[in-house]
Amino acid sequence: MLRAGPLALAAPAVAVLLVFFVAPLTAFAVYSLLTGAFYEVSGPLTLDNYRQAVESPLHRTLARNSLLVGLFAAVASVVFALPIAYWLRYTRSRWRLVVMFLIIASFLASYLVRIYAWRTILGSNGLINSGLDQIGVIDDPLTFFLYNRFAVTVALVHIYLPYVVLVLYAGLGPLSPAYLETAQDLGAGRLQRWRRVVLPVAAAPAASAFLFVFVLSAADYVTPQFLGGTSGGLLGVIVQQNMTAQGDYALGAAIAFAMLAAFLALYGVVALALRLTRLDRLRFVS
Amino acid sequence: MTGPGRSGLAGAFTVAGVLFLWGPLLVVVLFSLHSTAALSFPFRGFSLRWYEEIFSSAEVRSAAENSVIVATVTAATTLLLGTLAAYGLTRTSSRARGPLALLFFLPITLPGLFIGTALLVAFARVEVTLSLATVAAAHLVYVFPFFFLIARAALDRLDPALEEAAADLGAGRWLVFRRVTLPQVWPVLVGAACLAFALSFDEFVITFFVIGPDSTLPMFIWSTLRRTIDPSINAISTLLLLFTLLLFVVTFALTSWSERRRRGSAEPLVVPALKDAP
Repeated sequence: MLRAGPLALAAPAVAVLLVFFVAPLTAFAVYSLLTGAFYEVSGPLTLDNYRQAVESPLHRTLARNSLLVGLFAAVASVVFALPIAYWLRYTRSRWRLVVMFLIIASFLASYLVRIYAWRTILGSNGLINSGLDQIGVIDDPLTFFLYNRFAVTVALVHIYLPYVVLVLYAGLGPLSPAYLETAQDLGAGRLQRWRRVVLPVAAAPAASAFLFVFVLSAADYVTPQFLGGTSGGLLGVIVQQNMTAQGDYALGAAIAFAMLAAFLALYGVVALALRLTRLDRLRFVS
Repeated sequence: MTGPGRSGLAGAFTVAGVLFLWGPLLVVVLFSLHSTAALSFPFRGFSLRWYEEIFSSAEVRSAAENSVIVATVTAATTLLLGTLAAYGLTRTSSRARGPLALLFFLPITLPGLFIGTALLVAFARVEVTLSLATVAAAHLVYVFPFFFLIARAALDRLDPALEEAAADLGAGRWLVFRRVTLPQVWPVLVGAACLAFALSFDEFVITFFVIGPDSTLPMFIWSTLRRTIDPSINAISTLLLLFTLLLFVVTFALTSWSERRRRGSAEPLVVPALKDAP
């Protein structure tokens, strides 16, 4: 009897991912090189879609928005998450597990509900405006925080912050409190402990969390629909429109893969920066 | 004297973070109980009218049923395939291990937009009609990495000596798995399956592209949000929050209980799973 190794147990999962993940993405990539008609594509192979994807002024504006929103959301999430992760890792508070629970639980809170919540809060008739109106601070509603890039960024930070906290917390795992105590005994002040010990250890996980938030934010198509208005549209929206209402599969695919290429380039830059600063090869001695 | 862990500033950020994360959600809960249709201050008193409205809506009921069906199929399939894959990969020394682990992780790194649009194109190409089945297939791709990372972390941390001892005593591989491995890891696997259920239940970004004429709860919320400002959305959202919270409590309790049993610490397994991610 043939005795397959344990690896054979992974075969069903591999098959599912090949059929529903690898093959569709490959087909999608091929589509980006064909000529699109209404919900149809045909040969021969061409790079026209990519030219169209890159040259359109609308696409350029949306790409700039995606870049800005992605950067702001990613930087804000990491900066906000770092002290929280630090607290979770080193506090002796009995609230530690409660806070951990609240943070992970909020990660699972519905994506659409969160977008909706921010629309309720920031809207021209929303909580901030109606609240300020009630206490007589303003007469006309403030509008600078809704239907623009700011609103989209706030909602995206809200959506991804819990994930970033967890990644940084896991990253600080190997840095036991003893290291910080040693640094303190050697005369390092609070600022120096952060700069010389905590930040170098957190750098690699922070970089991966940064990329994660950037990619998911830049490619988001739902948040900008509800919060972005005319000035806060993102590139994901145009992909979604091409794949549904417009029915131009080839152009939609080309924009998507142009985005993917940009993501990979950013990933390369970040990985290179970590390597040059040698922050990707920290070792802990016990 | 302050020790390294006593940074008041980090504590202040933590409090601000928790308020930032939960404040907007609590606003939704508060207005789900509002007695008027207004989503603004002043708050005019409590009532359950929005809950009555959604409980009597046939549209909401059928969307909720569809969500339960899809999430159940997704979670059950993930539990089976994910456990097999994680067990296989942690018990082999084959060189295929690295590439396969990467394949199992890869869907997490792609935004849902890519998975959804690629599947839309592929299903159209092979003329598969969009239905709840295509949604479940798409969700399987989406939740698989989460389950796999957690299951692998749990299986990796078992003491191999126990399984070796059982095998030396003559137990076959299935018996070893069932009597030695499974009793040690089942809480984590069930917890991770609950997580898979919750992720699927709430998925919108991919679902939008592969659902066809059916509806799920997130699809219903989305279409209502586009049409009008309907206060009953607050009630649906609140129930959705409570439900995912409940699922998460189960996940959290199972994984941290299993960890405590193992080595006396109450770290939920989500954290080590993140650590192992490439």
